[in-house]
Amino acid sequence: MFRTCAAAAVAIVTAFSANAFEVGVVAFQMSSETHARVANAVEAAAKEKGWDVTVLNSNGALPTHAEQIENLIQRGVDGIILAMSKPVEFDAQFAEAKEAGIPLITVMSGASPNALFDVQVNEYSVGAQAALYLLGEIGYEGKILTERFESNVGTRIRGKVLDVVLSENTAVTVAGSHSMARTSSWRDDVRAGMQALMLQNAGDYKGIWASFDGQAFVIDDLLAAEGKQKGDVALVSIDGGQEAFRRIADPASLLQATVAIPFEQMGRAAVDAMEKIAVEGQPKEAITAGPYLYQDAVLVDASNVDQFLGE
Amino acid sequence: MKAVIGKYGTALAGLAVLIVLVIFARNFASVANLTNVLKQTSFLAILAVGFTFALITSELDLSFANICSLAAVVCGGMIHGGIAWPLAVLAALAVGTAGGLLNGLIVTRAKVPSLITTLGTASVANGIAFMLTGGVAFVGRWDAGFLALGRSSIAGVPVLIFFMAAVVALGWLVSRQTRMGRHMQATGEAEEAARRAGIATRRMKVIGLSLSGITAGIAAVLLVASLSSAAPQMAGDYLLNGIAAVLLGMTMYDPGRPNIAGTFTGALIIAVLGNGLVLLGAPYYLQDIVLGVIVIGSVSLSASVLKKAAL
Repeated sequence: MFRTCAAAAVAIVTAFSANAFEVGVVAFQMSSETHARVANAVEAAAKEKGWDVTVLNSNGALPTHAEQIENLIQRGVDGIILAMSKPVEFDAQFAEAKEAGIPLITVMSGASPNALFDVQVNEYSVGAQAALYLLGEIGYEGKILTERFESNVGTRIRGKVLDVVLSENTAVTVAGSHSMARTSSWRDDVRAGMQALMLQNAGDYKGIWASFDGQAFVIDDLLAAEGKQKGDVALVSIDGGQEAFRRIADPASLLQATVAIPFEQMGRAAVDAMEKIAVEGQPKEAITAGPYLYQDAVLVDASNVDQFLGE
Repeated sequence: MKAVIGKYGTALAGLAVLIVLVIFARNFASVANLTNVLKQTSFLAILAVGFTFALITSELDLSFANICSLAAVVCGGMIHGGIAWPLAVLAALAVGTAGGLLNGLIVTRAKVPSLITTLGTASVANGIAFMLTGGVAFVGRWDAGFLALGRSSIAGVPVLIFFMAAVVALGWLVSRQTRMGRHMQATGEAEEAARRAGIATRRMKVIGLSLSGITAGIAAVLLVASLSSAAPQMAGDYLLNGIAAVLLGMTMYDPGRPNIAGTFTGALIIAVLGNGLVLLGAPYYLQDIVLGVIVIGSVSLSASVLKKAAL
């Protein structure tokens, strides 16, 4: 009896597995919160639809990312979604997927002729929102500190946009800038670099710009340890997420604003688009005409943070 | 029988894994996937062959991955700077060789243990790579002839496999069939006795570490050509994988001793497991867990073999 039941269960599972749509997901660096948020959102949305999901991590390594995409192609998945990939570097793998007839959607990666499209926020617009908010908070004059990250396309663009904004607002000067280099121990890197800048400038700065929220959290803790209070220094960053919202709402934190990028929504949008194209057979143009499927990023500060908390 | 298992046990275990994957992993045994696995083994095998030479002389090289990354950005930077790619390739090989040679000279002349020396040079190489790039990868402008080094095929077989075969074969020949190879082994196994027997042990150590640098340079060129990008830390993941391949290799063929055939088989087992786990639909974190288990298991096996040999 037990054997019969087990055999039937295996047969049912096999039958379902054989028929279920299978999506392969590769996050470029799962240890990065934003990458993980996208990958986890894709996994959850795909499972809701009853799909099989294989989530892979490239550990931030280019060769590993190429290998993971190649392995998914060999597995013969029905669709691939990549979180924070690099289309130029992996054009060979993207072309291989296209040749194998596997639809490929990227998230926050950049466009590729071999992908359907990239689910993206406009990083230039995001960078401008954060930069202008900071300048507004300090009254368009005074000194600021910046914490940058040049190895990532998105954070690099945000920094470049800040530079453009500053070039038009010459009463604001950058008193000191630290560029985070290490990816594995970046928190220590940010802490050491920003601590040095704070000591050098001994309180002679009105604002701090951080290229992503993780950096801002470290800086927020440093400022709090110095005894500074909300409003003493305008701390602005980008990415969003519950920790950022909690700090914006927290009177003890100095983080004033972030530009919330809807990573979960982007993951869900990628899955919905995959369903429409790969399962329902709709043309790609039914989702978006161009190489991007843009999502809105919203500036979150004390005035609207309640709408985002616990979302 | 016991001797056979002692010598070939790991290889037989690898074979057993292979059989399991052929049966249970979809598409594993397809020609396309097996070619894919061999291609994926190539970078790891080439780097691990170099590391094996360092270890044969009883010296550790923990810098090969970072030297590889530095050689890659030098190669990429030169090509992007408009320099003919053959010169850039030579420069990458020179960087690798210089890095290995520097390690060798510091270890033998300044008497700094190789563990410390190579940790230091790894950090220096990492810093220089970031200095040259500002953290930004070189992408998007490559000569077709250069890309062919990593992307072309001969009779349907990726050229990377030929490069790997050449490095492994040459490594095996040098280590087993030449006087220099035997001197290196003698140096690693009983340095004082070798020195008294007239072997230039310091020179052998310099050569061992230099060979590790040379293979890092070769792997760098192939990585850049294959991924059409050059970024700092692009070979970072190969450090642990390379060490694992060599340690795994020490459990077979010539148990307890670093040997090229074992290293190649070790690299192949790691690549097969990585590919097989994806084809089986295993979660991404299992790959790291399996790699960790391999490192611990192979070290404990090698240690027990060496202990028995000493008794």
